[in-house]
Amino acid sequence: MTKEEIFERLNNVFRDVFDDEEITVDENTTSDDIEDWDSLEHINLIVAVESEFGMKFNMNEVTTMKNVGDMAKIISERASK
Amino acid sequence: MSLTSLVFVLFCIITFFLYFIVPKKIQWLILLIASLIFLFYDNFSVFTVLQLLIVILSSYFFGRLVDKYRDTKRGKVFLALGIIIILGLLIYLKYTNLFLTTFNHFLMLFGNSYRFELVHRTSLIGISYWSLIMISYLIDVHRGAIKSEKNILKLSLFMSYFPILTSGPFIRYDDFKDQVDRGEKKKFSYDALCSGLVRILWGLFKILVISQRLGYFVDHVYGHMVVLEGMYIFLAACFFVLQLYTNFSGSIDIIMGVSEILGIKLPENFKAPFFSTTITEFWRNWHITLGAWLKDYIFYPLLKSNFMQSLNKKCKNIFGKKIGKKIPLYLSMLIMWTLIGIWHGGAYTYIIGSGLLQFIFIFLEDVLEPVSNKINKKLGINTDTFSYRLYQRIRTFLLFSFSMIFFRANSVYEALRIIKHMFVWNPYILFDNTSLYYAKLDMFDFRILIVSLVALFVVESLSRSYNVREKLFKQNIVFRWGIIYALIFAIIIFGCYGVGYDAASFIYRQF
Repeated sequence: MTKEEIFERLNNVFRDVFDDEEITVDENTTSDDIEDWDSLEHINLIVAVESEFGMKFNMNEVTTMKNVGDMAKIISERASK
Repeated sequence: MSLTSLVFVLFCIITFFLYFIVPKKIQWLILLIASLIFLFYDNFSVFTVLQLLIVILSSYFFGRLVDKYRDTKRGKVFLALGIIIILGLLIYLKYTNLFLTTFNHFLMLFGNSYRFELVHRTSLIGISYWSLIMISYLIDVHRGAIKSEKNILKLSLFMSYFPILTSGPFIRYDDFKDQVDRGEKKKFSYDALCSGLVRILWGLFKILVISQRLGYFVDHVYGHMVVLEGMYIFLAACFFVLQLYTNFSGSIDIIMGVSEILGIKLPENFKAPFFSTTITEFWRNWHITLGAWLKDYIFYPLLKSNFMQSLNKKCKNIFGKKIGKKIPLYLSMLIMWTLIGIWHGGAYTYIIGSGLLQFIFIFLEDVLEPVSNKINKKLGINTDTFSYRLYQRIRTFLLFSFSMIFFRANSVYEALRIIKHMFVWNPYILFDNTSLYYAKLDMFDFRILIVSLVALFVVESLSRSYNVREKLFKQNIVFRWGIIYALIFAIIIFGCYGVGYDAASFIYRQF
């Protein structure tokens, strides 16, 4: 899976979870950039990303990822396994 | 060992001295010995030693096994066993009476006259802290966030590090190991000593000058609520929250200061909570490390669990996306707040006061937010003003004070009676010269309280924008020492030392 592919699919997930068609994420996007992205929405986002990519984050990853770049990195690592 | 006792001062001086003269390799050993002395100082018995051994041995061995069998079924079994043992010990030591009283009530309800006798068990100090700390250690090993500790004595230090035993904060193994084990030898630093001492002084001021004094009033009113009703109870409820805060955050200040001198930074537990505009925000600034612990080890896993996710899907289908996703959220919150209540103590007063009522407030804040926004818009109220925020802060403080009536009362029935007696209209006691002084405190005490509370709120307010101690040390010498001397004299002259010296018992210590 290429990086562009991952981000394109991530964009769809974000738009769906946050109900906002305008959202475009990049590596540096953090919870500060998206208004509704609080700690609760974070979990819903994680679950939605998991089902989109058919993989699981472990709890440590869930609590330590700092931005969308971290998220994409984990996804591409899992995909290449 | 009380944090305001002379024994503790002596204990710290000896610990500092030994800690800084020994080579780096054994510095941690000095801390471990000091911690064990602190741990057993008040109750050394076969029973308490056994408790320590159970927790340490099970965390150590299960930690190693979980690490070895990570990502396998066996690893999960070992994790579960480790948690069950630690949690089992905690429940056995702290919550047996909760079960027994509940059971007794059931017996009573069905007309049975048999009653189980309540038990009194001595547990090691800090049990509510170190049990959760060790559980999070095991879970972190399981999640692969950390490697298990190979040295059982080092793990013992993590569990029993003496500054955190009295009233937290919750520490994480990784942070702690980074500071204690890795890196340079901890050298004595004059700057750290000064900075730490000022923090200790500030903590002593909060406890001895403010908290103890408020405590006299609160105890007296709660003990005489039939005579002292209405405004007295209202004041006592507010005072209790201030007493609790100055006591709890004061002891945190003392131990943070001690730890700072040792060169080990602990996570902050409070961030000017009384400036919060909602209960939700309040809990983000009050007992922060407990909240963070629960979020990482209970709330997130719960929300992410298959049950909650399928509930999420079902609710979204039935109620639509917006409302549907809230239902599993509220359910998880209810579970979490009940646990917070239980953590605070094995009695229904805690479960209601520090658990369920907080949940109700937060739930209502969330549900009513759109309504209040609409009302404000209609009435043209500008919410971005100092006065509106002040109103919100007072509201938050009063709501919290109300919930803490349960926390302070001896039973739910007593709490309800207190609330009933509070609704008597007698605000004139504030103004008629003498009535206010029926409850242990005289005019002089009230003046001290007013000045100290103003000082407290000014410092808290400043602390929201910058590090107050750093700023203080940058001031010129006269001002700097003026403040420090004022603090020292205030503690010596205005501190309440009670009967005998060791009167400052910590409210949060029993947890």
